[in-house]
Amino acid sequence: MKRGTFYLLGFALLMLFDSVGAISFKYAGDHALPVEASVAWLLRIFTHPWVYGAVIGYVGAFFTWMTLLKHAPIGPAFAASHLEVVSVMLLSVWLFNEHLTLGRVLGALAILAGIVCLGFAESYEHVPDPEEVDSATRR
Amino acid sequence: MSVTTPITPLIATLWLLNVIIDTVGQLAFKAAAGDEAAGDGLVRWIYMARRPWIWIGIGSYVVEFLIWIAFLSLLPLSEAILLGSINIVAIMVAGHFLFGEKLTRLRLSGILLVTLGVAIVGAVG
Repeated sequence: MKRGTFYLLGFALLMLFDSVGAISFKYAGDHALPVEASVAWLLRIFTHPWVYGAVIGYVGAFFTWMTLLKHAPIGPAFAASHLEVVSVMLLSVWLFNEHLTLGRVLGALAILAGIVCLGFAESYEHVPDPEEVDSATRR
Repeated sequence: MSVTTPITPLIATLWLLNVIIDTVGQLAFKAAAGDEAAGDGLVRWIYMARRPWIWIGIGSYVVEFLIWIAFLSLLPLSEAILLGSINIVAIMVAGHFLFGEKLTRLRLSGILLVTLGVAIVGAVG
């Protein structure tokens, strides 16, 4: 598989797992309302299938992330791994009939710009450990 | 119009707890994984399991899982997911103070922008 295809598929999969996770969390929580610090609340959560969707999303995202990190540079990987903020926001409009208010759109844009900065920071300002240099030259 | 939900004390508390516990968890994992005396392979895992860090990390994740579910159920998902981005900032700032990780100019810009975004969402909804 070409390197570009590998990254693209990897990040798409990561975004998918993260989005599935967040949406499952939301469904699980909505079904367990009202929020209370009680055994009853915990029971409502864990007896509903959505909580397991959240677990699948987390585990899937974890392994996809670890696989990607083996090959992808950390900066772009970091930025791409937080893009689910946008996918989840858009999916909530469709799934939960939520509104894209001006505050949310502006907030999301600022957050996105921040994540891109942090991604570049990891790429260009990252001082590699001797070990990393070693494995990079070996490759 | 019920497009936005007011941030109640319960929501604010859950948000704060989520940031704190997530940061504690990440730092605990970092402390566990970064211990150079741990060795390699199975020995490393046994070494880590005998120290509190990895357990603090796992415990934090379990508690955070529940807090995050509660938090999301009280807000629209599109708003909550944006507010949750503050964790990125908290972990970087904590990494700076505890592990001496550098806050370069680009990192600072990123931190400020993410914080600004979260503040806008928190203020306007």
